[in-house]
Amino acid sequence: MTLTSPFLLAIVAITVLALIGQPIGLAMLVGSIFYLLLAGADLGTVAEQFLNGMYSNFVILAVPLFILAAELMNSGSLTERLLRFCNALVGRFRGGLAQVNVLQSVIFAGMSGSAIADAAGSGKMMQHMMTKDGRYPPSFAAALTAASAVIGPIIPPSIPMVLYALVSDASIGFLFLGGVVPGIMMGAAQSAIIATTARRRKFPVEPPVPLRQIPRITWDSLPALMMPVVLMVGIYGGVTTPTEAAAVAACYALVISVLLYRSISLRSLYASLLTSARTTASIGMLIAGALVFNYVVTIENIPDSIRVLLTDWNLNQIGFLIFVNVLLLVLGCVLEGTAILLVIVPVFIPTAQALGIDMVHFGVVVVVNTMLGLITPPYGMLLFIVGKTSGAPLRHIVRDTMPFLIAMLAVLVLITFVPDLVLWLPRLLGYQG
Amino acid sequence: MSSFVRGVGGWLRRRAENVAAAMLAVMFLAFIAQIVMRYVLGLPTGWTNELTVILWLWLVLFGCAFVVREDEEIRLDLIYSAAPAPARRVMKIVSAVALVSMFAISLPAVIDYVGFMKVQKTAYLKIRFDYLYSIYVVFVLAMIVRYLWLGWYAIWGTDEAKAPASGEDPA
Repeated sequence: MTLTSPFLLAIVAITVLALIGQPIGLAMLVGSIFYLLLAGADLGTVAEQFLNGMYSNFVILAVPLFILAAELMNSGSLTERLLRFCNALVGRFRGGLAQVNVLQSVIFAGMSGSAIADAAGSGKMMQHMMTKDGRYPPSFAAALTAASAVIGPIIPPSIPMVLYALVSDASIGFLFLGGVVPGIMMGAAQSAIIATTARRRKFPVEPPVPLRQIPRITWDSLPALMMPVVLMVGIYGGVTTPTEAAAVAACYALVISVLLYRSISLRSLYASLLTSARTTASIGMLIAGALVFNYVVTIENIPDSIRVLLTDWNLNQIGFLIFVNVLLLVLGCVLEGTAILLVIVPVFIPTAQALGIDMVHFGVVVVVNTMLGLITPPYGMLLFIVGKTSGAPLRHIVRDTMPFLIAMLAVLVLITFVPDLVLWLPRLLGYQG
Repeated sequence: MSSFVRGVGGWLRRRAENVAAAMLAVMFLAFIAQIVMRYVLGLPTGWTNELTVILWLWLVLFGCAFVVREDEEIRLDLIYSAAPAPARRVMKIVSAVALVSMFAISLPAVIDYVGFMKVQKTAYLKIRFDYLYSIYVVFVLAMIVRYLWLGWYAIWGTDEAKAPASGEDPA
């Protein structure tokens, strides 16, 4: 490959356009047109790849539906009720609200499938609660919200895992199960960090909710708490495909908001639909741009060249996983997660397969890795979102994120080297891998 | 005149929003219908599948052409937002030239491809693929118009200037 090869020039074009602020999906689309032009190929191929890619990949439909489900939960009062429930459980400890933040992320993770939706919905409420009356430093509240939102797409359902399934053909159902243990480990790690720093940083204690009120609060939030159960039974009971489960989640959120909690009006329903439609369109464009550019990467035979190159290095499984992890963490600082999952990760899949690495294990590792990219500066999408809510300087938020980031990196290392942590649960439920 | 144009633009934009929200709503309902038909009534359906995929494709292209606002697009704007005004203007012009030229150059081949697809129909709803895929041509045209507009304003416009419906909130 020479410096003036169409492929390298296309990459330069995409990078420049993205860096000067163009939407990443459009940049990849335009870069692909540029590539075909330089390569003297038919430019209609861009339309063909875009349209057929979007039309024939049924699994991506889970994406808009999970977005809608999250939006409906946030606009109904499900989020509030769940927060009250979490507060009744762990608010009484030192740093109680911080613990609530982690616990709600673990529970919400069972519903929305998107870290961005979690941070913008329940995470935003948590940030307001934590900083009200100056109880927690705004930068800490923001950092914790970003860190705990990362758990969202690790514990099923998960939009990033849907995207990985799209490029790897691994089973979405088993990928979802594989995320459960790592997700809970990350929650536990965050909770431990809060417990150890709470005294030193003099975090407040919430007025304890009397024990006799707990049954009522639990009952009140029970329909919302049942949502993950409904989803899991749907998927693993063989009732719905994971994609349909996303529709069921949205339907469930709508039904309990309307019938049980009576907390949603026609107007707010329309607002939820419109917001979800906007998010769907912009994420969809990113996915489509990545699919088109993926085609370019494939006809350039990049995945195979990488496999040959890495085979020459004589990497074993461990060496390869370390290499991919380090590379993705570095890329995660400057690239967006969806683009990494749809463009970079597929490049390594043939090598992973050749080395005999389990595709579910590999999937969970790369998803955890790319989600950490959401909180690594300079381009951590979650840092921007919590920063917008908090108003604290970004560098303070980054500083307060560090202990959580380090703890989650430790979890990443663990699941990389001990595949059983990921694969235990899927195998328990019938995964043959 | 200008306020009239803006009024019409705003009205069109709100109707486009209605359409996008409706697409998502129908998509959602079709999914629910599919699950109910299959598991409650024991009648597996193919058309619901097809309808949802079609709506997903249309929602993304129609939405990006007419509904999604600048601040909702997924982008890395750290460098852009830190740059001084003259540098931003240059960035806008470079982007506009790149996007307009690439989309415009690809347009004839795109129209060719979409037209060629008239030979196929979808499996259940029997929709001709050229109709189905025509939204991509609409999207490309909308992108060309939007970026021509943004580029024009970057070159000639003042900072307060506002672009119309398809390109509101200039980059």
